[in-house]
Amino acid sequence: MNRFSRRDVLRLGGVSAAGILLAACGKQAGVEESKNVKSIGVMPETEGLANVEVTDIVLLRTAASLEYNAIDTYDAALGLGVFAGAFAAAGDIAKRLRDDHAGHANAINGLITELGGTPFTCGNPRLNEIYIAPALALITDADNENPALDVVVLAHALENLAAQTYQGVVTLLSDRDLRRAAMGIGQDEARHAAVLAQALNPGIAGVLPSVDADTGKPNVAAVPSAFGPLTPISVTVGPVNADGTRNSLILETPSLNSLAYDDVVCA
Amino acid sequence: MTLPASVTPPTKADRELLAFANSAEFAARDLYAVAASLALFNDDERAMLVGFHDHHRAAGQSLAGIVGALANNVRSDAVYNAFRGRLQGTDKNAVLDALRELENTLASTHLSLVGALEGSEGAALVASILNIEARQSVALAILTGRVLDDALTNSAVALSPVVGS
Repeated sequence: MNRFSRRDVLRLGGVSAAGILLAACGKQAGVEESKNVKSIGVMPETEGLANVEVTDIVLLRTAASLEYNAIDTYDAALGLGVFAGAFAAAGDIAKRLRDDHAGHANAINGLITELGGTPFTCGNPRLNEIYIAPALALITDADNENPALDVVVLAHALENLAAQTYQGVVTLLSDRDLRRAAMGIGQDEARHAAVLAQALNPGIAGVLPSVDADTGKPNVAAVPSAFGPLTPISVTVGPVNADGTRNSLILETPSLNSLAYDDVVCA
Repeated sequence: MTLPASVTPPTKADRELLAFANSAEFAARDLYAVAASLALFNDDERAMLVGFHDHHRAAGQSLAGIVGALANNVRSDAVYNAFRGRLQGTDKNAVLDALRELENTLASTHLSLVGALEGSEGAALVASILNIEARQSVALAILTGRVLDDALTNSAVALSPVVGS
């Protein structure tokens, strides 16, 4: 009768386990080679992301996409039929601002064409998905008591976003003439934002920053700071939730995951 | 992924242009100081004028920071004298209109500078000042009861930079 000591059993077990591991890692008959880590079976090939370049054309296409986001939002707002009665004047402003954005989009796309790029003629899909569509869904919720006011709040946020975007691309654009063209439009967006700020918080009390005495939250200001801000923009819209709060969205200027690269096309 | 070049500092020529902007901003600061001292404004209006005064001072100081030794940190008398004569009398709206024109003139001037500056660092600072001056122009237009088009458009002629002084 063979007798194995405890040490022999452990040694044999270790050798067996090492053999199984080596067999698993080794090349096996009938199994396709993979560029991935060594594995048993067939693994799909990995595909790297396309090498994209953030060029002047890409930045301008992104700016154009924001113009279409604004046009679409104003069209949606006007289509809601909320600009009546006390908000009739807001409807006239919305039409004017929408038309301005159409002019901006044409101007930006003209620059893109001059640079040899392809114009971008629809809203930024990423911004639409994460900001505008959710905001409009909240605004049009059946329980929302003041959709007209919320539409103006959203428009004000989008105008600020556009002003910030044009200001922000000044450091990214390589060409001085393009920087000037961008800020010519950026200035218009800042003016739009100031007009809407006055619609939300009218009169001299709404010009400079102030704080709501009841809530402690900052009021909308036509001139929010000494320098054009590049900070995230908070938008609170929609119906009051069960806990007494309302939903807020945080808007940020387009980043690497939302630029209108050359291979991004309108649906 | 290929990203744009990093922020570029101002060139010597840029610093001369930015020094001009520095003196123009200090002229605006002094003009708002004159306006805020007029008896025809109430406390709320004076607070706004002082706020705009502070914005122009901050703009001038930031420009000085980027310009360095070339900044003379004194107002442009040409800009100051062009508007000083309109900051008097008893017509509140006339004074605010003059200030709106000042804001639009500075906005046009800064837009011109954005297109002239080679370094992106200076251009970015000027762009951030430009956006605020456009907003201040809008506020003044609305407070004086002007039509929407007056708030949204800027037809002011840019100042010609005086450099190398």
